[in-house]
Amino acid sequence: MRTAILSRPQPMGRIIGAAILAVIAGFALLGPVLVPGDPFAQSLMKSLAGPDAAAPFGHDHLGRSLFHRLAYALRLSPLIALAAVATAASAGLVLGMLAALRGGWTERVLVILADALLALPGLLMVLIVLAIMPGTATGFWAGLSLVLWVEFFRLTRATARATLASPAVQAAKLLGFGWSYIFRTHLWPEIAPLMLTAAAFGTATAIMAIAALGFVSVGMRAPTPELGLMMVELLPYWREAPMALLTPVIATFALLLGLTLLAGGHKP
Amino acid sequence: MTLLSATEIAVHAGAQRLVDPVSLALNPGEPLVILGETGSGKSLLAQAIMGTLPESLRATGQVRIGKHELRAGDRAAFRGLWGRQIAVLPQEPWLSLDPLMRAAPQVTEAHRLVAGRPAPEARLQAGADLAALGLEGAAARYPHQLSGGMAQRVAIAAARAGGAPIVVADEPTKGLDATRRDDVAALLLGALASGGGLMVITHDLALARRIGGRVIVLRDGAVVESGATAEVFARPTAAYTRDLIAADPENWPARAPQPDTTKAVLQVEDLAVSRGGHVLVEGLSLTLGAGRILGITGPSGCGKSSLGDALLGLVPPAQGQVHRAAGLAPTAFQKLYQDPVAAFPRTRTLGQTLRDVARLHRAPWDRIDTLLARLRLDPVLLTRRPGAVSGGELQRLALLRAMLARPRFLFADEPTSRLDPITQREVIGLLSDLTRTDGLAIALVSHDPVLIARTADDRRSLPMAHPAAVPLAEVQPVPA
Amino acid sequence: MNILLSRLVQAATVAVLVGAATFAMMRNLPGDAAWRIAAGRYGYDNVNAAAAEAVRSELGLGGHWFPAFLQWMGNLFRLDFGVSLVSGQPVIHEIAHQLGASLWLALAAVGLSLLIGPPLGIIAGLRPGGLFDRALLVVSTALKAVPQFLMALILILLLSVQLGWLPAAGYGQPRHFILPALALALGLAAVNARITRDAMASVAAQPFYAFAQWKGLSRTQVLWRHGLRNVSVPLLTYLGLQFVLLVEGVVVIESIVGWPGIGHALVHAVFARDVPMVQGTALLLGLGFVLVNALIDLLAARIDPRGVQ
Repeated sequence: MRTAILSRPQPMGRIIGAAILAVIAGFALLGPVLVPGDPFAQSLMKSLAGPDAAAPFGHDHLGRSLFHRLAYALRLSPLIALAAVATAASAGLVLGMLAALRGGWTERVLVILADALLALPGLLMVLIVLAIMPGTATGFWAGLSLVLWVEFFRLTRATARATLASPAVQAAKLLGFGWSYIFRTHLWPEIAPLMLTAAAFGTATAIMAIAALGFVSVGMRAPTPELGLMMVELLPYWREAPMALLTPVIATFALLLGLTLLAGGHKP
Repeated sequence: MTLLSATEIAVHAGAQRLVDPVSLALNPGEPLVILGETGSGKSLLAQAIMGTLPESLRATGQVRIGKHELRAGDRAAFRGLWGRQIAVLPQEPWLSLDPLMRAAPQVTEAHRLVAGRPAPEARLQAGADLAALGLEGAAARYPHQLSGGMAQRVAIAAARAGGAPIVVADEPTKGLDATRRDDVAALLLGALASGGGLMVITHDLALARRIGGRVIVLRDGAVVESGATAEVFARPTAAYTRDLIAADPENWPARAPQPDTTKAVLQVEDLAVSRGGHVLVEGLSLTLGAGRILGITGPSGCGKSSLGDALLGLVPPAQGQVHRAAGLAPTAFQKLYQDPVAAFPRTRTLGQTLRDVARLHRAPWDRIDTLLARLRLDPVLLTRRPGAVSGGELQRLALLRAMLARPRFLFADEPTSRLDPITQREVIGLLSDLTRTDGLAIALVSHDPVLIARTADDRRSLPMAHPAAVPLAEVQPVPA
Repeated sequence: MNILLSRLVQAATVAVLVGAATFAMMRNLPGDAAWRIAAGRYGYDNVNAAAAEAVRSELGLGGHWFPAFLQWMGNLFRLDFGVSLVSGQPVIHEIAHQLGASLWLALAAVGLSLLIGPPLGIIAGLRPGGLFDRALLVVSTALKAVPQFLMALILILLLSVQLGWLPAAGYGQPRHFILPALALALGLAAVNARITRDAMASVAAQPFYAFAQWKGLSRTQVLWRHGLRNVSVPLLTYLGLQFVLLVEGVVVIESIVGWPGIGHALVHAVFARDVPMVQGTALLLGLGFVLVNALIDLLAARIDPRGVQ
């Protein structure tokens, strides 16, 4: 009965989400292999020109191939996002387990830290870290990891606490099972599905952040092909070449829609 | 003249028939009891008669309530009768009151909006209703500040405020301590006083006996037997009714006395147990010998589970000592849980879990099979997950799991409170057998003093704890 | 009481984090940080080596980082944020100027999202699995996948560039509000509607909701008397958490439409490495979150007495 009440991840939605992501990944990884080209090569002759064999999606204002710029943009931010999510998930899992198992001051300090980070807008933190770190990509990775670990930490801690207090774990302890068995059979099966959902949302958040900062010109720098940056560069040419602007817009929407569908449900 | 009559009522889920056609009549002053175990269709039958079935189910047949003739399938037609003709008392009254509204307004709104009284009069009437039920102090409280019994009386006042002559109570003792049973029965019978009708749906034999009147016994959606309640209880004709009555702890034979000379497994001296800074149990001393059953009774929140944690060494005692017999492994002390589903890992099959335990304790490979046979369990259950097995079977599988650790002491925390009477008798019988055959010592916790009286060699009754010591999570039933 | 204490701890930790982050930012300023800060204070024309040296010793820029950090945090907790490195104005004044514009935008966005999201959520939640519920799920999922900057871009292209109904940027007139507020509100409403829908569906499935109908109350009476109040608590709590999303949105949208608010100022400050301004705005946003959530804690405790003993 409960399944009908709460919007649970629908398997159908998840399959569609995974399919969208597979298509995007296929394009980003294989596209430039099938149609070789340079995302940086300018040719003012071809400024805003339509598609041709070497540039199936047409050209931007500097005559660069949109096909290749898009493919590289679809490698860049997902890669940074996945690296940040992997870092954040590992840190959140370890710290969340530590808090749930140790309790006391360890837990209190971690919870206070996580709560404080929760109060700060993620974009702001990423901006500050970008100002401190030397490279833009590493800055994004570090800043996004710093923002995203909190969600994984909270999920792990809450789930682990509830599970550790359950009769099932008490029974396992009475029967003489060790911690590694309890983690494998009781904790991980409860945590893993939540981690998957949080990872999909986290990846979407990271990609949105990179694109948003690119769009307001404080993220990736030109001439790097990046989704938000491409949009802001092409915005002035909307009247002449609407498709040129719509290409990164549609790609960004599809990428985020795929991740939202894959996550299923909504953010806890 | 009958207040309510139902003709050929049946309930279907799609093509499947859940309740076979049943006809019944409710007369003024004569209660009607519908008796059956979980899954017998008793609640579905009652819901079909009241028009409260879930939308996924379909009812057929005719219902007459007062002057109103209705088709059972016409859900909308019943709406206008709720509160005005039929007062429906819900299961688990605690969950039936709006948690964010004080008690009195929940009664007042029915007087005002259903019976159509002006607001000041409705308030006065609600106050009088609550006072008549002994609830003067409860009017301004929120439901979470009420005890289970108080919540039930508020729900009764609210259900009857619309002026309905017929009261239908679905499992009125569910979630309440057995000791409250007589209060509940008296309250319900009070509804009959002014020539009203009363229909009670229950699995509780003692409640059925106290309500009296007429009874319909249901099993698997079909009527097994019906007649005057006293007559059916005294001379049941159907085999199922006989089993059901024999399964009532009142009718169990007393346990054969066990020698008190066996070696002590557990010795407790001047034990005090506390939780959240409140002392729950004090000055408890006892000795539990091999093969003996210690019965522990007491109201909810008296600290029975905390006492178990202390006996099992899961929490240190606040005071005093718990001695285990020398030479016993820590795993010789095991526990059975009230809710066996919560005691197994959710995502593994039962077979995997049991094999893990057998491997850990180096049990011979056929030990699981031997125990399955002894506990009368079907091996096919091992391929399922805990949620896909009935409560009685799962509790026996939990017992099997504990036996794999070769326990000398078992703390059984209300192991049958969620089981039907026949299954309860079977599980308690198995526990009793194990004390004789394996010399297992058991501490059996139950809220039912009769069950303990028939089963235990020694008895301890724990007093009601300080109310503040009762955590909300334990008092308030969790929505299923 | 306990709730407020933990909010105070949260506020203090936020201040420490912001202080530490901006301190690190200051130590990493490119070029001669002391010179830049002195220039901010006295203007580029009046700055000289002596003034830069005075700043250097005051902020401990030349020495070990630890005493400098204590000095920095001390100033922070005395609410002495210094002067903007760009405008030379005290940070407090700058922020006081910009806060109003941002607050109005944020309020307009939240108000608009509450007009759109919760009513749709209630309709969907009363019939979970129905046609409207499934349609709302599709629309809200699609909307959630549109980041706020993209929403603003789409609305600008559609409403100002193509149709010419609204100005793409600007500030000062009521019609300037519509586009940025709508860009923020649509994303917020998509999530509001889901939260309300889940809360409504779970409330309507509670035994007390059925019992209220069995008492004889009509569907409408039950919804007004028992439904909305119970739905409001999870929605309210969620709105508090959504504050961060709102702030992020305000930062991005303000930069896009040139709204003279705190978010716009923040992005500029980061771009210009104006550390005192970054510190002031970041602290304000963090403490704003804590304050809003503390107020919501109090309000939720009034509506739902179960949490407090």
